[in-house]
Amino acid sequence: MASQLLNVTRTLSKLSLNTKCRLGNTLIKLEQELAPQPLFSNPSRNTNFFNKLPAHDLWKGITSVSNAGKKRGRGKTVSKKNIKDLNRGQIIGVGKANIVWPGLTAPIIRGKEIVEQQQLPEDPERQKKLDALRDQMGTHRYAKLSPIERGWSGAKMPGRSIGPPDPIGEEIFTGFDSKVIELKTVFNMKGNFGRKRRVSATVVTGNQNGVAGFANGKGQEPKTALRKAKNRSGQKLMHIKIFRNHTVYHNFFTQFGATKIFVQQKPEGYGLVCHRAIKTICEVVGIKDLHAKVEGSTSVTHVMKAFFLGLIRQKSHEEIAESKGLHLVEFCKENGYFPTVLASPAKCRSPDEIKNDEILDFTQYCYDGRVVLKKKKHPPFYTKHKSYEIYLKKQEKLRNKEEVKMNLIAQYGEIRSFLTEKYPECRPYKEPKKEQAEEDSNT
Amino acid sequence: MSVFRHFSRKLVLNTFKSDIKLQINTHCSVCLRFLSYQPIHYDGKPDPGPVFIKKEVQTLLRTLTRVDLAKVFKKRRFGETQLQQPVYKFMTDEQLQEAYEEAKKKVDTFLQIPPVVAVRKPKDKVLSKDPALQGLDTSAFVFTDISYGVRDSERMILVRETDGTLREADWETRDRINQLYFPVAQRQIQTPKMFQDSNLEDLLKRGEYNFILDRACLQFDPNDPLYQKIVSITYQCVNDNNHFNELRSTRHFGSFVFFLAWNKLIDNLLLDIIESEHIEEAKALVELYSHIHQVKYESKENLQQIDEYIKNHASKKAALELAFQAYKNAAKRKGEVEEGIKRAHGLS
Repeated sequence: MASQLLNVTRTLSKLSLNTKCRLGNTLIKLEQELAPQPLFSNPSRNTNFFNKLPAHDLWKGITSVSNAGKKRGRGKTVSKKNIKDLNRGQIIGVGKANIVWPGLTAPIIRGKEIVEQQQLPEDPERQKKLDALRDQMGTHRYAKLSPIERGWSGAKMPGRSIGPPDPIGEEIFTGFDSKVIELKTVFNMKGNFGRKRRVSATVVTGNQNGVAGFANGKGQEPKTALRKAKNRSGQKLMHIKIFRNHTVYHNFFTQFGATKIFVQQKPEGYGLVCHRAIKTICEVVGIKDLHAKVEGSTSVTHVMKAFFLGLIRQKSHEEIAESKGLHLVEFCKENGYFPTVLASPAKCRSPDEIKNDEILDFTQYCYDGRVVLKKKKHPPFYTKHKSYEIYLKKQEKLRNKEEVKMNLIAQYGEIRSFLTEKYPECRPYKEPKKEQAEEDSNT
Repeated sequence: MSVFRHFSRKLVLNTFKSDIKLQINTHCSVCLRFLSYQPIHYDGKPDPGPVFIKKEVQTLLRTLTRVDLAKVFKKRRFGETQLQQPVYKFMTDEQLQEAYEEAKKKVDTFLQIPPVVAVRKPKDKVLSKDPALQGLDTSAFVFTDISYGVRDSERMILVRETDGTLREADWETRDRINQLYFPVAQRQIQTPKMFQDSNLEDLLKRGEYNFILDRACLQFDPNDPLYQKIVSITYQCVNDNNHFNELRSTRHFGSFVFFLAWNKLIDNLLLDIIESEHIEEAKALVELYSHIHQVKYESKENLQQIDEYIKNHASKKAALELAFQAYKNAAKRKGEVEEGIKRAHGLS
């Protein structure tokens, strides 16, 4: 196409009267001079995103989410805590254009002269200061909780302590501590507003000595809900029997709804091996050693209610002995299985008076005929592999090492071998101390 | 610093009589007497064994032990990390009685008194001298008969020394070899450092008599001179500090009392018993003394026997006489009061 054009221009140039005008030559020259190149263009605009809207609207777009958007779960990072307050660090009357305002930023009369409104040169530091201040603001930092203060998980409230209930008049709840069992956001449909959001809190309170209570409270904010729940639980206290200050009187079974709990009495030092809700309750009640197995539904409120039911339904040893008409005797390994009588009835029954099918086993009696399922403990999968056998053979030389080390230190004061007497260097290597190492490096 | 403390304490000691006790702690009064005790062995002249084994002596020792079931069956930790859940049972009256009877049988095993025997004589028997075998090796050889069913004390243990002599192993080697081949649980092959003088001293100062005696029983045989040394020092310490209650209702009280009676040191104990008004035990103690030292009392009545002992054989005559007189007066007054009450009720 280009070559054809060139031929056309050549013939046309030959045809012209004005021999000086040689159009075709310029075209040909151009073609020879310039190699074929793609064409570039630099677009430029006079408007951009930041110019299109006023500052107010831009800020609103960043800092807020529409109601519809909230329903759809948008804008999780947008919250009042995250929004930077632009007014901080700024004073009325001081701005980008450094103008002196008499009456606002400067006195009206200075000495004998009247101060005039004038524009001073711009202060470059002002913006930098504001920027630095705004950089530090923003991310809402959660107060770091120490492991002792922590609840069941992370920085969430369930499991955390919220102090004793508020005093009522002259009644101060000395020795009481409340712990949160549940803190959830609940919604209710209202006729005019639609979904109404509230916080529901379940709190357990106790004096770690057998007096405890639980209650639920609702409020707009978590703080109010917790306060209400805490104070209400202080109103609904129950007496709970504790055996020897550390555990339950006997094993028992309880249920509330679909939640069933098997509770076992345990000796000192065992700890609270149970559902975290039960553990929290035991901590406020004053029970230190317990085993509990929750079966069926693990709804926290149901677990709590079932456990409280079981606790208040406990029978003391005297009551059990009286109802049964037999001595209740404890056999403990630590004192050589000497029969220690815990409780005796007023009149003990004779063997003939006891029926054949009567439950005489104490554990069975406590569970009311139920039997706790004991799952068979299988050895771990790797014990059946050949590699485990090899591992055990290798471990045979090492498994007594710690004991041997302890015995050597007890006997000789150091870890040594039978050759150490003859060859004193036959001792475990000790790294030279840091000071010595520094000295060596210095010298 | 410790030397200074030692000498200052010695000075304090010398200014006080040995009977007066110094109160240092509020918890317990400890006499400032150091390990100046001499170990006393049962020489074998006469042999304490036959006297100890006599049934009458054993019953006397049991009476003196003052069996308190609560103390015998007190709660002990056996080195386990976790406590065990106790077993609860419903029992009728008869079943409960049976359980008590069984417990009492157990008491016999708990309170088995460690035997008192004469100290063993060092072994020296040489079986053969073979100087031709000297230099065979740089160490001696120990030959042990490990056949099953042989008693540790009768086991044949021979040593072929580097100079060629074949002799029976001495007692220390015997103990060591027996522990190697037929170990007794928790018995150490080498003597524990606890039984060395300084450590023993510290333990005695702290009053850990039961601990020392239990471990000594476990570690040694009763005829071991080291055992008799440790045990005698402990007994002397207990006697001097009047810490009799620590050993009462344990298995060690029997052999402790036998030791005191054998070495004529029963005065402190007799004083303690009379002051706490356990007259049965006082009678038993005096009778034990008579059994051991073949002393015949003129009177048949026990109270008068005690009187006789105090007059003729006691070393702390004055104190004992005073205490016994006080007891007699108190008993008399008590009797009169009871008589009066009976008469008032119209019973006599």
